[in-house]
Amino acid sequence: MIDLLSFSLCLFAFNGFALAKFNHFKDVFKKRPTELQRKQFLAIAWISILLSLVLCVETQSGYGALLFCGFMSLSVLIITIFYNLLTGFVKVFSVLNVVLIAVSGLFLALNYH
Amino acid sequence: MKDSFFRSMTWLHTWVGLLTCWIIYVIFFAGTVSFFRDEINLWNQPAIHNVQAQTDRVAAQRMQIVKGFDYLSHHGAGSNSWRVTLPEQRTPYLVYGYAKPKEPGQRRSQFVNTQLNPNTMQELPPFVDTKGGNFFYRLHYQLYYLDAITGRWLVCFASFFMLLAIISGVVIHKRIFKDMFSFRRNKGVRSWLDAHNLSSVLALPFHLMITYTGIITLIFMLFPYPALTTYDNGMRGFFNDVTPSNNVTNKAQGSAAMLPINTILDQVYTKWPDADIRSVRVSEPNMAASTVTVLVDPGKALRDQTPRLLFSGATGELVDQSADELTNSKALYESLNSMHTGRFATPLLRWLYVLGGIAGCVMIATGCIMWAKRIRERSKGKASFGLQLVEGLNLATIMGLPLATCAFFIANRLLSPTLSGRDDKEVTAFFLAWLVAGVIALIKRDKLQWRVMAAINALACLSVPVVNALTTNGNIVSYLMHKQWVLFIFDALFLLFSILFLVQTEKLRTATKAKCSPSSSRSNTSKGQKA
Repeated sequence: MIDLLSFSLCLFAFNGFALAKFNHFKDVFKKRPTELQRKQFLAIAWISILLSLVLCVETQSGYGALLFCGFMSLSVLIITIFYNLLTGFVKVFSVLNVVLIAVSGLFLALNYH
Repeated sequence: MKDSFFRSMTWLHTWVGLLTCWIIYVIFFAGTVSFFRDEINLWNQPAIHNVQAQTDRVAAQRMQIVKGFDYLSHHGAGSNSWRVTLPEQRTPYLVYGYAKPKEPGQRRSQFVNTQLNPNTMQELPPFVDTKGGNFFYRLHYQLYYLDAITGRWLVCFASFFMLLAIISGVVIHKRIFKDMFSFRRNKGVRSWLDAHNLSSVLALPFHLMITYTGIITLIFMLFPYPALTTYDNGMRGFFNDVTPSNNVTNKAQGSAAMLPINTILDQVYTKWPDADIRSVRVSEPNMAASTVTVLVDPGKALRDQTPRLLFSGATGELVDQSADELTNSKALYESLNSMHTGRFATPLLRWLYVLGGIAGCVMIATGCIMWAKRIRERSKGKASFGLQLVEGLNLATIMGLPLATCAFFIANRLLSPTLSGRDDKEVTAFFLAWLVAGVIALIKRDKLQWRVMAAINALACLSVPVVNALTTNGNIVSYLMHKQWVLFIFDALFLLFSILFLVQTEKLRTATKAKCSPSSSRSNTSKGQKA
């Protein structure tokens, strides 16, 4: 479950990086993002990706950094597919991503000893 | 100045990439397949298909080792080497083996192995001769048929070129972050460039890591000078110094009864109470100079050398052991090595390694196809010998390797189990299939040939699970029903690739049709006139 949380955070981060770009934001919301929105997306994305890295290294020790690199690759692949081929589903996908983070985080919090 | 720097970097990226792209593709392809070396070994041996992983694996190890020593003292009494290899998650069977006397000219002793089901302790049916995943592993780092040293040097040079290509690629890709998630479809060469950039960027840390650590794995061949100047007997002295097993200086003469193995195991469990033992090796059993080496799993530690304890077989005295705390240089070397092999990676990480490997294959394939497409556009129909050569090598390598891989697995199932040199014949099937792809590429290299190869590959990929179902007791459905996940995923992957090749065949058919149709040529003409 911790791997799922790390991956969801990484995916969420790259979703944020993509939305911080004018063209991708416009494809999804049919309008240009404000400068403030861009900065917010970038801030959330950086926090999320750093959290993902910390979780990977903390739980997997030696192989954690490698796992994080793998999560980044998979996230970029998924984000690219959604933003280029399934643009109409980006909003749904983003909501699912947040739900995934919430569920896996909650599960871990409840089972924390 | 800036312009000429970018131009020289582009030149470097193009030529360094183009010169070695096919050999790098082979290395990447075989390396990616090698991440599933144990799973391939499992699929290639029908005798172990029904062996279930042990639930209390670690708890049963002591009993398995003791029984192994009983077995070997009866069957391998005259042998100079014994091995007990314990079941693991990816290799679920138990092996008791003893060395046969060396024949003249033989470098290493051959082992007589007895494989057992660890759940029942019953002997398994005889194994078939197969190279399994080890073939792809050897192809990856020494190009199989070549002499080992020559092959490794070639792989080293190719890796250096790859590293140069990656670094220069990052430099010339000015919009690396701006275009990070962009892929423009149906835009001709532009789409190929996007695919090339995307596959490079999405696994860039992996590409850099795997190429750099790949060079590090062969660093002592590339740069032996520090060891040569420090040790009297050169590299051998160096390896003896860093490997505990080679430090044994027990020169005791004559025979001596082996100490009960339980005495040695007690010492192992005192030092490491939760030890997950991988294997126990004995050299010179029943001699005063005998050594018992116990190798344990390093867990999540980034270590390439398995931690080990060495005992005197006659007295039970601890002779040597691997260091608990590695020196900085050794820790660096071992961690880089284990990062490359991913040997102790979890299944999730292993799949992510494979994703990175596939991205690498796509990056190389799109790069060399894009170069050929650009030159063909510029040459306006007149193809030079160089262009024809590149197009031929592209077709033979990119489409030939999947075909050859299918041929290897089909041969594994169709060759008679009693055939002598069976394992070599599997390899021959691999290279013969690749040769067929080469011959097709030699005849012609246009879209039709790509389509033919895609159709052949689709059929070949489909044949693997079909032939497996016809020649063994299991099939993809039974694997699913009995939760034999490795075998199920293996067959399912081939079905998936078969579908992907079918899609490619269809895409190439519609592309050829669109190009040949009068309406498309009319619209092209009108576009040309407008331009």
